[in-house]
This record gives sequence, C-alpha cells and structure tokens, in this order.
Amino acid sequence: MSEQHPFGAPVTFRIGGRPYEGTYGDSLLETLHRYGYEVPSLCHHEAVSAYGACRLCLVEVVDKRGRHKITTSCNFPVQAGIDVLLDTPDVVRHRRVVLELLLAMAPRSPELRALAAEHDVPGGRLEPDESAEDCILCGLCERVCREVVGANAIAMSARGTAKRMTTPYDAENPACIACGACVYVCPTRCIGLEEADGKRTILRWGRTLPLAVCQQTGRAFTPQFLLEHYAKKLGGLDEKVFRKAPPYR
Amino acid sequence: MSAQRETTTRSERPALTPLTRGNPAALDVFSARLLPREDYFSAGHRACQGCAEALAVRLIHKVLGRNTIVATATGCMEIISSSYPDTAWKIPWMHVAFENAAAVGSGIEAGLRVLMRKGRLPKRRITVVAMGGDGATADIGLQALSGMLERGHKMIYVCYDNEAYMNTGIQRSGTTPFGASTTTSPAGRVSIGQQTWKKPMPAICAAHGIPYVATVNPSYPLDLAEKVRRAQKANGPAYLHVYAACPTGWRLAPDLAIEIGRLAVETGVAPLYEIVDGRLRLTCPTPKLRPLVEYLRPQGRFRHLLSEDHKDELAVIQARVAAEYAELERRAAEDARR
Repeated sequence: MSEQHPFGAPVTFRIGGRPYEGTYGDSLLETLHRYGYEVPSLCHHEAVSAYGACRLCLVEVVDKRGRHKITTSCNFPVQAGIDVLLDTPDVVRHRRVVLELLLAMAPRSPELRALAAEHDVPGGRLEPDESAEDCILCGLCERVCREVVGANAIAMSARGTAKRMTTPYDAENPACIACGACVYVCPTRCIGLEEADGKRTILRWGRTLPLAVCQQTGRAFTPQFLLEHYAKKLGGLDEKVFRKAPPYR
Repeated sequence: MSAQRETTTRSERPALTPLTRGNPAALDVFSARLLPREDYFSAGHRACQGCAEALAVRLIHKVLGRNTIVATATGCMEIISSSYPDTAWKIPWMHVAFENAAAVGSGIEAGLRVLMRKGRLPKRRITVVAMGGDGATADIGLQALSGMLERGHKMIYVCYDNEAYMNTGIQRSGTTPFGASTTTSPAGRVSIGQQTWKKPMPAICAAHGIPYVATVNPSYPLDLAEKVRRAQKANGPAYLHVYAACPTGWRLAPDLAIEIGRLAVETGVAPLYEIVDGRLRLTCPTPKLRPLVEYLRPQGRFRHLLSEDHKDELAVIQARVAAEYAELERRAAEDARR
C-alpha cells in the first residue's frame, strides 16, 4: 500500500523478481545504480533534478495489479510492491530506436557513438543531421547552471524541431560566469571550453572572459569575473585570498 | 596469440573528446560538485594527516562505482584501511601479498569472464582493479604487472607512487628520485641520498602496447576523475600512475600535500599526461616550468640539496627534469600530428 507511505519511508520492491529495499519517492534509476544494476543514461545526474529527456534509462515496471508499462527510470519513484524488469525484449528494442534517434541528432559525438556500439546500434538508418550542433537536448547543462551554479545563463528556446539550448537571443549572456560546469557535465561534449591569451571562452555560448593570474604561480587560473562572483557571494572575505589559485591560498 | 592480442589491446572505440585543452584545474569550482556523491573508501581510516594517497584512492573509487573488485598489494593502503576488525572498504576488497596484486587481479578478471560465459553470473560490467604502492609495482610486483599487461586482461592497475617504502619506515624504492634522503639512502657527508634516477613506470607500461596509460595526481581531482573514467572504458589493460605526496616520508607539512602536488606538475617533476593507444597527450601543458627549488624547498628529504655544497647536483637534477619534460612535449607534438 504505497499510498500510505510518506515520502522517504523504507519500502520493499523487486528488481527482476528479487526483493530489494528502497526509499519511497527516490529516483528508480539512482536506486538501480546503487544496487549495481547497469542502466544507461545520458540526461541524469544525481546532483540535479530528474528530467527524463534522453529516454535511455527505460525499464519495464510491473505494478501491483500486474500491469506492465515501459517508463524512464530516472523520474520514476521507487514504490512498494513494484517489480522492475531490466533489458526485456521490448526495453532493448525501444532503447535501440532511441539511440538511433539520438545518433541522428549528434552524429559526430564519439561518446554517443561508443554507447551506440555497445548496444549494437549501427546507426545510419536515419539521415544524420549534418547541421546539428551535436546537442541531444538533454537539458543537463541548463539544470546544472540553474541548480548547482545558480547562474541561470542558458535555457531551451523555441519548440519542436527548432528547439535549441542557447543563451537569451543567442547573444553573449553577462549572467554566464564561464565556470565550465556545463562543459564538464555535457554527455556529448558539445559545448567546449578554450583558454588562450589570458582569456577563457565557452565556445557554444560565445562567452569570453579575461582570466585572473595567480600571484604565486603567474599562471591564469580562473575568470576574474568568477572571483568577483565568489567575493560577493561569500561576503566579508579578504579580497587578497582571491589573488592566488586555490592550493596556494 | 598475436591475433588474440590484437583484438584485446586495440581499442575499437572512437577516442573520447578531451574535457579541456589546457589547464585541468580550470573547472575545479562548480564541476567538483558534480563528482559522484557515494564513497566506497570510507572516512575513519588510519592514514596520516595530509595523505594524498588516501585522497586519490577515495576519488578513484568514487568514479569507478559499486561494481568494482579490488585486489591490493601489501602497503600503506592495506595497512590503513583494514586494521582488524575494521575496514574502510564498501566494495569487495582483497589484500594479497606484496608481489602479486596484478596476478590476483588477472585471475579475478579471467574468472569473472568464464563465469559470465558459462551463464553462472549475469553479464554485467564489473571493473577489476589491482592496486599497489611504488614498491609493490616498480620493484616487487613488476613481473606480475608485466604479465598482466602482456596477457591483455581488461582491468585497471593503479600504482600509488609516494617514492619510497613508507609504511615500513621510508626505505628507498625503485621510484625514489635522485637525491632524496631515505632511511636506506641517507644524505650525509659521504652521500647526497638516493644515487639512482626514478624508474620510468608509465613508460615501461606504455611499452607493453596497452590501450591506456596515464599519470594522475590528486591535486588535480577532475583530471584524475576523467582519466579513471577513460581507464574504465579502455578495451584492455589500463595503467594509472598516481603521484601522491606522503607528508610523513617526504618530511613535508601535512597542509602542503595538495600544494606540493601542483608544484610537482608546474616544475615538471611529475607531468600529467595520458597515452591512448600509443599516442601521448599532455593534459596539463606547462609551457614555462617553475624553478625546481620551489618543489624541493618544503620537503625535508631534499633539504641537503639546497646547501651550497650541492649546487652542482641541483643543477644536474634541474637539467634532467627540463630535458625529460622537453622530450614529453616533443613526443606530444609529434603524436598530435599523427
């Protein structure tokens, strides 16, 4: 009777028929990973909220009445009495189709091609979109920018086939602090960061910021703007602290 | 055998895109919060203060995740993590003799593969890791390691290099650098300490033609995490050489352990690079090396080198560090064109 459990209550459920303990309301994908089950996923990160965009983490869930349904596990809550089936023929078939669609969106991404090869997806059935930015619209960069960094510099724009992840009006956004968290988290590595001539550029967002030089090492280490951002956020800290790169402070 | 080796060591996967070109410390602030939350090497172990090795182990196992089996040779990491009746390990972990971590790891990997083929175990990606200190890798376990690399087992070997046998009392090892004072190579009136140069372990492993070799350093945590991910994905044996500061053995203040790691990279003593399918790439290019003395000064094991008497030796060491770094740069530039 999952209805009677409050969120966060311990519940028992099944994975492939074997009983497991879980927490009601937790992400099913994270629970599966915790128990060592492999479920591929591109758009999920434990540090941010679930979004269900990449559709790779499909599983078949059998509810208490015995009804089967195929669902994404990242945004499906763990609840009492369900049985989670992994890699059933249906799930494998759906996942292959999803991978083919993703490959058409990001034909050049080595990471995605490696994943496709693992799942025996040859690619090529769908015409690859050559003009594509290798972005699979997973929204991970936007969620990290909003929930982890708190900068809100990027968002989805337009709908349907024109949907893109971008900065407002496709212009350089002063809200972007060029921290590079989006570059780090991007599953297809399509954002890109470059440092040259004392400047850092986040290639995809077209944001260029001058870098601060560490007093100790004489090496550029982080955007000046970012240091001012920390100084403001932390407040009252001696600004001398920020003149050196972290381990030398 | 040769045909089989071809399939196990040649990576068929397309090479992964490098995360950053340039400074791997560039992403440290917010991206560090995106490392996996779960720890498999728990707090409360008995490492000394400022132990960079324990930090590296924690980070490595954070990234490798739950489906990992570890075989550790005798050494600091075994002593501090498993003093009876406690354990710091939340994953299957096995302590083996000094010389055979790589052999035991090979056995685990081969066993898992057979059980999966026979259907006795569900097919699942289980990462097998063999770990050893510099003594267990470069001196005592070199034979077993070489065998593991040659047979092409799909597993990771991690060497924690703190440049001496620290847990038994700072005796010199094959990777102790020239001029370092240890209890078996003491510096004094007749000797300047260690008389031989450091054994080039990453080059020895790369010479086996394995798909992935990398040097890592816990002072660059995101670079370390990225290289561990690549090692895990490598289609064959992977070797990680962890350069880890040992405040006790290096006579170094514990609060400088992270800083000394950065200095080791910036002075060119321990450059960060990876060799993917024979192609070398510097992951932290340092166009202008900082003077070696900045790295030597905080460490008591090199204190004698800073005196007037040893000016010549110091110049020799400085020249050798610069030459080795220039050679790496040359090779990286050549491999980038290939």
